[in-house]
Amino acid sequence: MTDALLQATDIVVRFGGVVALDGVSLEVSPSSIVGLVGPNGAGKTTLFGVLSGLLRPGSGTVNLAGVDVTRSSPQRRSRLGLSRTFQRLELFGELTVRDHLVVAHRVSRGRDREFFRDLIGLGGRPSPGEDEAVNAILQLLGLEDLADRPVALLPLGIGRLVEVGRALAGEPRVMLLDEPTSGLGSHETDQLAETLRTVHMQRDVAIVLVEHDVELVLALADAVTVLDFGKVIAQGSPAQIRGDRGVQAAYLGTASEADT
Amino acid sequence: MEAFILTGLVLGSIYAISALGLVLTYTSSRVLNFAHGAIAYAAAVFYYWLNHEQGWSIPGAAFVTIFVMCPLLGLFLWGVLFRHLTHAPPEVRFVSTVGLWVALPALVKILFPFTKGEVYDARGILEEPTHFFDVIGVNVTDAQAAVLVAAAVIAILLTVVIRMTPIGLAMRASVDSPRTARISGINTSAITAGSWMVGTSLAGFAGVLLTPILGLSEIQFTFLLVASLAAAVVGRLTSLPLTFAGAMIIGLLQGVSLDVLPDEGVLAKGFRPSLPFIVMLVALLAYQGLRREKFEVDLRAGPAEQEAPAPPRRTGWRAAIGPLIVALALVSVPLWLDDFWIGVVSQGIALAVLFLTFTLVTGEGGMLSLCQATLAGVGAFGAALLASNAGWPVGLAVLAGACVAVPVGLLVAVLSLRLGDIYLALATFAFALLIENLVFAREDFSNFDAGVTLPRPVFLGIDFNDRTNFYLLLVAVFCVVALLIVTLRRGTSGLVFASMRSSETAAATTGIGIVRTKLLLFGASAFCAGLGGALLAMTIGRATPNSFNVLIGIVWLAIVVTWGVRSVVGALLAGIIFAVVPQQLSLILVLVLLFTAFGILSNLVVTRRIRHPLGAIVAAVVVIVAVIGTSQLINVEVPDSWVDVPTLLFGLGAVFLASEPRGALFNMINRIRLRGLQHETRRIEAASLEESAA
Repeated sequence: MTDALLQATDIVVRFGGVVALDGVSLEVSPSSIVGLVGPNGAGKTTLFGVLSGLLRPGSGTVNLAGVDVTRSSPQRRSRLGLSRTFQRLELFGELTVRDHLVVAHRVSRGRDREFFRDLIGLGGRPSPGEDEAVNAILQLLGLEDLADRPVALLPLGIGRLVEVGRALAGEPRVMLLDEPTSGLGSHETDQLAETLRTVHMQRDVAIVLVEHDVELVLALADAVTVLDFGKVIAQGSPAQIRGDRGVQAAYLGTASEADT
Repeated sequence: MEAFILTGLVLGSIYAISALGLVLTYTSSRVLNFAHGAIAYAAAVFYYWLNHEQGWSIPGAAFVTIFVMCPLLGLFLWGVLFRHLTHAPPEVRFVSTVGLWVALPALVKILFPFTKGEVYDARGILEEPTHFFDVIGVNVTDAQAAVLVAAAVIAILLTVVIRMTPIGLAMRASVDSPRTARISGINTSAITAGSWMVGTSLAGFAGVLLTPILGLSEIQFTFLLVASLAAAVVGRLTSLPLTFAGAMIIGLLQGVSLDVLPDEGVLAKGFRPSLPFIVMLVALLAYQGLRREKFEVDLRAGPAEQEAPAPPRRTGWRAAIGPLIVALALVSVPLWLDDFWIGVVSQGIALAVLFLTFTLVTGEGGMLSLCQATLAGVGAFGAALLASNAGWPVGLAVLAGACVAVPVGLLVAVLSLRLGDIYLALATFAFALLIENLVFAREDFSNFDAGVTLPRPVFLGIDFNDRTNFYLLLVAVFCVVALLIVTLRRGTSGLVFASMRSSETAAATTGIGIVRTKLLLFGASAFCAGLGGALLAMTIGRATPNSFNVLIGIVWLAIVVTWGVRSVVGALLAGIIFAVVPQQLSLILVLVLLFTAFGILSNLVVTRRIRHPLGAIVAAVVVIVAVIGTSQLINVEVPDSWVDVPTLLFGLGAVFLASEPRGALFNMINRIRLRGLQHETRRIEAASLEESAA
């Protein structure tokens, strides 16, 4: 078969009478960046739900690192090396920035199961290698100065970085980023794109990127999938997508109309 | 038989009227109103007062109660409470309405002193029949017919309005996306306020109908609440026709049981009133089996409202200062209190151990459980039976009692946790009533309300029948359990709990096992409940069913929420205050005074006005007034009729402090520390803006 790290095949999801995803397939090779674009309501977030285990598809299969995880919980997928961020921030409001990374790191080492060790006071200490790993991510994302602040008081752009940091801290093999730039200004967007490039270069992690900002995706991704009304309308390299007429009509079309 | 079916149908109709109101308000605001029975109680008392004390005619009193008093009450409650709950975190939604459930009956008892005695002479709309209809050989009075018709008409009317008119559409839009609804020209406030007024009226209607049947006692209206909830669960909290059917089934079962079951014995006493909870548990389990989607979550739903962040924890030796002061203060109590007060405070410490159960399940787990008092009862009876009947050493019996509570608690949690938090609250409620009626009510437990004796231990040569020794033993137990909870919270588990409370979705995708974590917390909380229950029984000398009933349980929850549901010191304060205040009612005045003073002082600090000379003078005056006022107020003679005032205050505390899990005092202190943090954050933001501009 293929050597894909994450593979979704013929995914169908229905919400009542509405078909949100209609036979969508996606393949992510190790250490690649896959872009997922499409207009509002195309089914991007739904596909992320299926990939991360928050949503059970009506039919189709999801394969992660050679294991069929179609019916597995988000927790199992996380242990197999999948992590994600959310379009609407899902931060742990009572924790500091550092704690977000610490909890993700420890959970990936199974330390959330050490209830009785915690009870007698042995659970507070960092795992071996934890401090180095967490500090490295904080440094990578430029969050060192804010490490000990509670996240509830931080601005949106920082919140997005914290979510990326939390996703990275579990040392995943593939990371799903759901619209990491939405709500950010152009300066912040550029910074985030730069950060993502660095993350990808320094760490052996594949990234699936859902984005509204098509230019950002075309600049970053190795391969791009275009969704429209729950169907894949194009799949290929950024150059191929740029030239695809169907995509222009469905999606970039609005831009070319505006040009004329 | 036919006559019993008719009785059942009439009873079912009353349940249906109440349950429809419950589902209506839930549909329009996503708030499951645990105070629904309390509202019915308030309406029934008001009706009785108009009819019996003021001499109004039955129709006049009923009309004014249902169509004037109830809608006004509904509007008022919506304005001050329910309006703010729709987009609050789930545990806040639960705890607030539970607080109202505590506060409202207390307020009613203060306003209408006749409710102190047993009232069974209420006259109702159902009495004095003037006409009979012959329906297949059964005499139906006109009043019975009217109730049956009224319930059916209300059910059909509400269903038609919600399903087929723009009002129903507007209602769904208001709750799903209030902002979009408002932009589309829907008056969301009018829609939700209206549905709360109608819902309250339906509760009141049921209350007025039920009074002549049940009499005016608070506990009876708990049964109305649970019957309504059971019917609503059959309707999955959304379907009005299914809710109606569920209410009718419960009524019918109860009616027929009058005919089929014997009049005496456990079946009649325990089983018949338990029918609604049994229906609810069966419906919950059936839906559990039907549900295939295990991880059904709203993909885009984020936490609706973030609570204020916790200030950074103190570390190192500083962290030990606070606990040491508290421990020393506790140990010093026997030096400055006489034997009577040592006994009272002992009871408070035993309660504090028990209250740690809420610290774990609600504070750390963000879950609402209404069976913690029952689990405490399981621990108490377990220990008492093992010590008195099986002859176990007392210390061992207490530990065994606490351990017995764990599997019992886990059983309820396992059955309901996967269905979601709302069903955990419902299942624990049904379970608590079931145990209370079927187990604790048995003669070998209740022993005609005398209970089972639980002596105090003698070990290591120390006689714990001595008050001071026993008090110190309780303090030691509390310190150990509290310390365990604090260390648990400081470990990885603390991070995991906090993550889960903020966002279950993100916690799950980070790899945290949600159900497993909640079960662990529930098990640990059951242990605390069992241990505290056994210690409380030991303090009183016996385990009795009345010490651990459901209504006491919700008052306990309310007072713990008031003083801080996430803090062990909050549990300690709550326990001591709960035990001490009823013995010295003037302490209510002292508490209110100190609270106000503390509020003014912390406000002065937060706004930094205390640095101003005038602010400093005000602060000094406040301190002097507080000190002198305390010494004066403590000796004020307070009338005995104030006995319900603490309950009212703690209920209100839970209503308004539910969103501040660190409790009243801690929240004030936190605000001061947070103020500094916000300052610094703004500075950093400004700096980063400058940087990006450059």
